[in-house]
Amino acid sequence: MLRKYAILLGAVMALAWSSTYANPEDDRMAFEKYFTTKFPEVPLNDFQNGIYSVDPVARADWEQIEEFPPYELAIDAGEAEYNKPFANGKSYSDCFGDGAVRGQYPYWDSERKEVITMELAINECRTSNGEEPLRWNKGKIAELSAYMSYISRGQTVDVKIPEDDPEALAAYERGKQFYYTKRGQLNFSCFDCHGTGAGKGVRLEKLSPALGHTTHWPVYRSKWGAVGTLHRRFGGCNRQVRAKNFKSQGQEYRELEYFLTYMSNGHELNGPGARR
Amino acid sequence: MKKYVISGLLALSFVVAGTSLAGDEFEAAWQAADDKRKEAASMKSEWRDTKKMLDKAKQAAEKGDMDAAMSLVAMAHEQAADGIEQAERESVMWITRVPR
Repeated sequence: MLRKYAILLGAVMALAWSSTYANPEDDRMAFEKYFTTKFPEVPLNDFQNGIYSVDPVARADWEQIEEFPPYELAIDAGEAEYNKPFANGKSYSDCFGDGAVRGQYPYWDSERKEVITMELAINECRTSNGEEPLRWNKGKIAELSAYMSYISRGQTVDVKIPEDDPEALAAYERGKQFYYTKRGQLNFSCFDCHGTGAGKGVRLEKLSPALGHTTHWPVYRSKWGAVGTLHRRFGGCNRQVRAKNFKSQGQEYRELEYFLTYMSNGHELNGPGARR
Repeated sequence: MKKYVISGLLALSFVVAGTSLAGDEFEAAWQAADDKRKEAASMKSEWRDTKKMLDKAKQAAEKGDMDAAMSLVAMAHEQAADGIEQAERESVMWITRVPR
């Protein structure tokens, strides 16, 4: 009985809360304000450097690492793969032109009624040309993504939610709900760590702020010893709070990427990145 | 001698019946926990270790360690139920965390 009253009370609170904000641009501005208020010393365009925007000690190490970035080999491997013809004689350039397309993703496909990410498009390019799809999280797909992100550096995040398609807004809202929903045995939402917890320590590491979170993917993580995709990280975060992770490039993570990337609209793409 | 044989057979039959009863009880409990886990999954709120616990419970049961098996099933059931409760709560509470 008590549980029912608690949920009812929550519903009343939620209703009052939701009536205040209803559109993505209001969400984005409030999101940005949250982080610029929390970290007033950080210039807005520095949030795209993740944890290094708020942790000066880690930043000094990272700046040294960036002199000989560990993702360089992945970029080279990705470039070679990008230029290798498929068995049918075509190549990735028939799908992506020069490959500098990171800024166009993720986007809402109004015909297919789903979010299209760059990694999904890479594999669809392959399968439409008779090639086997790549595994989602690491290896060749992350290398291709690293190359394409590298040559897309300097583009601006500009995710659009078509106003004439309510299903696009619904996908954004599902991604948003996912982001703020506590899950797993540890009962954490994404925002608990990367919003309210941003800048605080967890064991030996500090938690990165969510603003600018999607600008620098894929990332070479020292822990992985290789580049990995954003969805690999989503899965890792879910497992860390002891929730069962969702499938990479499944609906849940693509819509999460749609929401989270929208929150960084206006930020500069600077992938691939290097993280611990 | 005949008495001993009959007593032995009786004892054996009780052990077999007991084991079978425990096995049936385990299967029912395991299935109930797995159904609960699937319900949590359908609400996108399955926890990381629930399925692992159920897998380990089966292994323990196969080895005849029914105490460990039943204990794991109970933990898995509790996790799944907590995941469902979490999903119900979060279906209304998530929005209170959105910055405004």
